[in-house]
Amino acid sequence: MVDETIAGVAGVNQGDRYVSGDRSGRALFVIGALTVALVVTALVSLTWGASDASALGLVGNWLFGAVPGQEALSARDSIIVYDIRLPRVILGMLVGAALAVSGAVMQGLFRNPLADPGLVGVSAGAGLGAVSVIVLGGTFLAPFTALLGSYALPLAAFAGGLVTTIILYNVATRQGRTSIATMLLAGIALGAMAIALTGILVYMADDRQLRDLTFWQLGSLAGATWLKIAAAGPIIALALAATPFMAKGLNALALGEATASHLGVPVQRLKYVAIVAVSAAIGASVAVSGGIGFIGIVVPHLLRLAIGPDNRYLLPASALLGACLLLLADAVSRTIVAPAELPIGIVTAAVGGPFFLWILLRKRGIVDL
Amino acid sequence: MIEARQVSVSIGSKRIVSDVDFTVRPGELAAIVGPNGSGKTTFLKALTGELAYTGDVSLNGRNAVSLKPWEAAGIRAVLPQSTALSFPFTVREIVKLGVTSGRSGVLRGEDGRLPERALARVDLEGFAGRYYQELSGGEQQRVQLARVLCQVWAPVLDGQARYLFLDEPVSSLDIKHQLIIMNIARDFARRGGGVVAILHDLNLTAMYADQICVMHRGRLAAAGSPQEVLSDDLIEKVFGCRLRVGAVPAANVPFVLPQSAAA
Repeated sequence: MVDETIAGVAGVNQGDRYVSGDRSGRALFVIGALTVALVVTALVSLTWGASDASALGLVGNWLFGAVPGQEALSARDSIIVYDIRLPRVILGMLVGAALAVSGAVMQGLFRNPLADPGLVGVSAGAGLGAVSVIVLGGTFLAPFTALLGSYALPLAAFAGGLVTTIILYNVATRQGRTSIATMLLAGIALGAMAIALTGILVYMADDRQLRDLTFWQLGSLAGATWLKIAAAGPIIALALAATPFMAKGLNALALGEATASHLGVPVQRLKYVAIVAVSAAIGASVAVSGGIGFIGIVVPHLLRLAIGPDNRYLLPASALLGACLLLLADAVSRTIVAPAELPIGIVTAAVGGPFFLWILLRKRGIVDL
Repeated sequence: MIEARQVSVSIGSKRIVSDVDFTVRPGELAAIVGPNGSGKTTFLKALTGELAYTGDVSLNGRNAVSLKPWEAAGIRAVLPQSTALSFPFTVREIVKLGVTSGRSGVLRGEDGRLPERALARVDLEGFAGRYYQELSGGEQQRVQLARVLCQVWAPVLDGQARYLFLDEPVSSLDIKHQLIIMNIARDFARRGGGVVAILHDLNLTAMYADQICVMHRGRLAAAGSPQEVLSDDLIEKVFGCRLRVGAVPAANVPFVLPQSAAA
């Protein structure tokens, strides 16, 4: 008989039958709870701010039109809610989900819990792509921006992220084994190169472009518009929609590439699809909100503690918790120095940095450099 | 039937395996033995499609190269020497990967308890909720075997034999579990499947193998039944040390052979 407290037994009750070691029931419960939490957070975010449009009135307005006995939304409230807050909330959810799921997929792909798009230079590469369009869009890249319109920015960021991920993967992986030290160091090098090139572009930028660029440095959801959602939303949605098909393969990949292939996983194809999906999600996110760090490493890590590393549950749960946490961080960034606004990247870094250190201290040996 | 014809493997410019012919029929347990570095694991990796090779390998008459990964996963399962895990999966979650990846061949509804049955077979009852990374090397090896068994639980499915490829399945096990694992392998073969196992213990090999393939410097030095293959001359030639088959130690030296195990 196994001593449950010592062995750290994990399991769930399935009906009246306890299946030791099966965390799927717990995972489904957590996913349900996160869904509720996200809906609540989104509704609260819609009402949170300088205007006093109430959540109740808002939901009533959606469901029944004007509720009898309650005032309909004033035109001013309506503009604030539909044209300022709603795009911001939707963008926050999209970006939060994209960052968290990208982190989880990348960690599965590199077989390492420290792989994070922000940490290993992918976000910096995506940023370089986006800044190129902002600065060179009127001159050098004019045909590109003319052809693609509002998609030029996210697609350029996607291309930057993709190139970085492919280089990173090829440098860090030899014969199916990914060296953690090489991955982190190559990420630092690639990130530095991308930031240097970005710096050159910023140096070339004019005043109007510099204003556009300021939010890249810190990351922000301010300035969310329906146009940005229309540009980045489909790309992020497509990337997120692809992830459920990777879940089983990523689970098998935890046993190594050879074993995954023996389990019937088309490993090469999985890797290509995962790299493209991560680059697309990160590229689109960076294009609309700049570099928001640590969501991709904190969210999957917390969820692995709660529901285990099974990607069939980890990926959807990461999307929900990522969306939720980014909305909360945005609420903090909007209110902590009100009426001014703190860039959200500062909030996620201020919370995520210490959390990252805690991961390192708690699980000594997780980084075998 | 597994058929390998003129299989050669080169890694870089170095030829590791040269022109090996090899056949395993359903119902057979074939052991591959040989000194360290003789190309056993490399040959096994060629058979399982993990390494590129020249020559032909076929499984049940189908060229192994033409099999899609998921098709191959329904015909054969592979146990590697050791498996390091990158995330804290429970033992049950690991074994379940075998059920969801291969074709266990048990009825739908019965497969829900298959991980528990497989764990019981490898003498790990009650380990389902433990974290894989916290187990000893021998226990991890048996968890992986349980996963592999789930992948091809029925040795024969749709009239086709299925196969186990085991790379040193008993290398980190105590004698009791060596016997348990070898009995599982032999039972799989008796029920119509085929087993290819790399082994180091010549006594276990002689006891369980229907066919022994001896590898030496990348080539097949001998193949046949234990009686045909295990001779003083061959062992001296291949392993480079003088040993006598069937010699009993001096009367005052205790020795323990797996063959003496009570059934």
